[in-house]
Amino acid sequence: MRLPAEADVCVAGGGIMGLCAALALAEDGLGVVVLDGGGHSGSTTNAGSLHVQMQSRFIRLETPARVAAVKRHLPLYVRAVEEWRSLAARLDTDIELVIEGGLMLAETREQYAFLAAKCAEEQRLGLPVEMLDRAALDRLAPWIGPAAIGAEFCAIEGKMNTLLANPAIERAVRAAGAVLLKRTPVRTARRDGAGFVVETAGGTLRCRQLVLAAGGETGRLAEMFGLRVPVVSEPLHMNVTEPVGVRITHLVQHADRQLTLKQARSGHVIIGGGRPASWARGRPSVLRASMEGNLALAMHIAPWLADARLLRSWGGVNAKTDGMPVLGEAPGEPGLFLAVAGDAGYSLGPISGRLLAEVMTGRSPSYPITDFTPARFARCR
Amino acid sequence: MSNRIDGHGTAPATAPARITFDGVPVAGWTGETIAAALAGAGIRGFRHTRSGAMRGVFCGMGVCQDCLVSVDGVPNQRACMTELRDGAVVRSQEALPALDRAGPPADAAPRVPQRCDVLVVGGGPAGLNAAIAACEAGAEVVLLDERSSLGGQYFKQLSKAQRFAGAGAEDSQFRAGAALIAAARASGARIVTGAAVWGAFGVDEIAVEIAGRTRIFAPRRIVLATGAYERAVPFPGWTLPGVMTTGAGQTLARSWRVAPGRRVLVAGNGPLNLQLANELLRAGVAVVALAEAAPAPGPASARAVLVMALTAPDLVARGAADLLRLKRAGVPVLHGHVVVRAEGEGAVSRVTLAQVGADGRALPGTERAFEVDALCVGYGFHPSGELARALGCAQGWDAARRMLVTERDGDCRTSVPEVFVAGDGGGLGGARVAAAQGRLAGWAAAADCGFAPDARAVAETREELARHLRFQAALWRLYHAPDLSWHLAEDDTILCRCEEVPKGAVAAAAEAEGDAGAAKRATRCGMGRCQGRYCAPILATAAAAAAGVPVDEDFFFAPRAPAKPVALSAIARADLA
Repeated sequence: MRLPAEADVCVAGGGIMGLCAALALAEDGLGVVVLDGGGHSGSTTNAGSLHVQMQSRFIRLETPARVAAVKRHLPLYVRAVEEWRSLAARLDTDIELVIEGGLMLAETREQYAFLAAKCAEEQRLGLPVEMLDRAALDRLAPWIGPAAIGAEFCAIEGKMNTLLANPAIERAVRAAGAVLLKRTPVRTARRDGAGFVVETAGGTLRCRQLVLAAGGETGRLAEMFGLRVPVVSEPLHMNVTEPVGVRITHLVQHADRQLTLKQARSGHVIIGGGRPASWARGRPSVLRASMEGNLALAMHIAPWLADARLLRSWGGVNAKTDGMPVLGEAPGEPGLFLAVAGDAGYSLGPISGRLLAEVMTGRSPSYPITDFTPARFARCR
Repeated sequence: MSNRIDGHGTAPATAPARITFDGVPVAGWTGETIAAALAGAGIRGFRHTRSGAMRGVFCGMGVCQDCLVSVDGVPNQRACMTELRDGAVVRSQEALPALDRAGPPADAAPRVPQRCDVLVVGGGPAGLNAAIAACEAGAEVVLLDERSSLGGQYFKQLSKAQRFAGAGAEDSQFRAGAALIAAARASGARIVTGAAVWGAFGVDEIAVEIAGRTRIFAPRRIVLATGAYERAVPFPGWTLPGVMTTGAGQTLARSWRVAPGRRVLVAGNGPLNLQLANELLRAGVAVVALAEAAPAPGPASARAVLVMALTAPDLVARGAADLLRLKRAGVPVLHGHVVVRAEGEGAVSRVTLAQVGADGRALPGTERAFEVDALCVGYGFHPSGELARALGCAQGWDAARRMLVTERDGDCRTSVPEVFVAGDGGGLGGARVAAAQGRLAGWAAAADCGFAPDARAVAETREELARHLRFQAALWRLYHAPDLSWHLAEDDTILCRCEEVPKGAVAAAAEAEGDAGAAKRATRCGMGRCQGRYCAPILATAAAAAAGVPVDEDFFFAPRAPAKPVALSAIARADLA
């Protein structure tokens, strides 16, 4: 596929954010070109969790002011699940989207109390959450070992298979009329009259509107317009086991420690939780301590996993923001939009794409995104 | 039906052991592998795939993960690597095996790195020689090997459940291997068998699974002597039970004293196939044919044969004697022939050969079918370079030999100065090259640690290495065969054995993506338990061709831990949970 000379919209970045924005814009009738610097678009993390309830690692790590913002935007996650359901129904492939709920496990009374308080708060904000004691947990997830004393259950959490979802969304983007070019990084982008000129190794593209949705690379692109957008690529440790009999149907997390645990229909158990990975020779690499600890916690929760063998590990690259999405028009730069979903970016991809398309086509967004404005960052100059 | 090789120079050496396989009693010998006992009883299908097919012994060396069984309720045990225990309840493994028991607990304490001067990974010709040389120079050496016995694939020794009895089995290769192993044991090196290196996070951070626990080694220098495994040449039916690599056939016959079948066809490219056909004959097994992809030697081969005769006269003599013995026994030796198809209900019963053209495709109208119960197929090898890759050693594609090789200097030092790669693991050269490289690497690694190897021995070994390399170059001119690539596979032939991905799907993805990683994600090709060892070189070639560029290491999957599948219980550390 060749680079066209002109488009209504150029989307820089073909991750889940860029693809979903492109899909929504193309479905709104705009001519869209997506440029992805890598060879595989869709996700650099490939974890496939669908998060709704507040993740304990964020609550513990974030400052109180940000926790307030996270709480305020929990309804966005409810919308995100709806958007994923709607998207999955429109795709040409079964992406193994399973929304059977998510469990956040407690091992101690303190952890249980923490979850109970979080649960009450989330219920107040309209989330379908409830506390489960051990007996209720046994009914729902009898595979969980003796360590857990209870859990917070969120009925609309889930998981999907990113290896099926990413190419399916790519096909949907193309079917909607957008052009998707891989291995085509944006070299430079600049304003040209009312529009923009985007230079790539494959040629030059002129567009009316430009979306910077390049994950951790977004800051570099934004700098070309004198904008400071603090987004960093954060490689996080992920593991996958060999296929074993399917027992885990929920998305499983821990109240106080770094864990996500889920099982694909193919039987592979996918274990993550946000432990650090590293960079080596320009690529994400893995750290032994992250692997050793992550697997130990998974085994602690599900002792039968001890006999499963690890097949692969990787550093899934998360685009880390200040804790909130960056979504909206750049200050003082009409036609230039920023789109970084931030943490839980895969969960928020489709809804963020939808909201962005709404504001880019002059509609008022169906969810208030003023808190997400890039104007919250100072300009470079 | 027993496939045991009884008599012919060996006899069982241990107590009988009884197991059941899917409820049926199977008799074996204590200390042999489960695969040996099952194959000895004529059982060929060990594992069920998701599509409902059966798989059995394929590589016989712990790489392919096709011989998985469940032992006493614990699935995912490699039958070829797991010792038989009297009374074991063995079951064929389901596609999605249930994990029921609470497995072993995680380690609770930090892992203290074990320091040494030189760590040698692999106990074959290269590794044993490296350990001996480094010790001789004065270095403190640890040698690790994944298997329970030393020798590697070339010097594979008789199973400990067997002993030599009378003449006919103990040949010079056994004796040379035993002598080398004895020398290594006497060298002062600390030798750890059953030690699988699963992570190379850095030269000073080598993660090793030993008896279900992880140990960390922190050597000053490392010599990777990881050997090679058979290159995959997919053809219809190559996943059927009873179809195995030539190396697996040799492990069965030579080490376990079990025939791959009662009527065996041996096919492929290179001298190992000739050797196996002879070993089977000597063990009283019917060899229905030997197919060699290379054309028959003719006048044009004279120069290669002359170089070989000058550099390794004993090997030339042995090859000629082997060929003569096959001819005398009436075994058809079909040069320029390849396997185009293996067929059978549940296991192989019929193999079709055909002449191969210079383009690597079968010539129409030249097919010949043979009734068999086993097919041993070996089209050469691919280096086990994943640990070197993980450590960041520069690698490149050897277009002539179609393999990913590790760049190394005359002492086998790689682009990472602390890392040496000796033997086939860095690029194929056979056992004699490996032995010389092992010694040179061992000495150079010891010298880095402040020891002074014998300069004359180093100089002599360099000359010896040059001579063996000349032999190898001539050997592969003689055995030069068309590039079969995946030409013999149909679109619906499985390319990725683990994930059962057909060639057509991989070809389409490679063409669309021009990138091996993207094609892998699109098709799951290479995502299975063998971690892409068989399909990745083919996928890399296809993806590079689609991208219109030469193959390079970027067309291979990222070399992240684990280098082999390892149980979570062996990796996990509770103090980091």
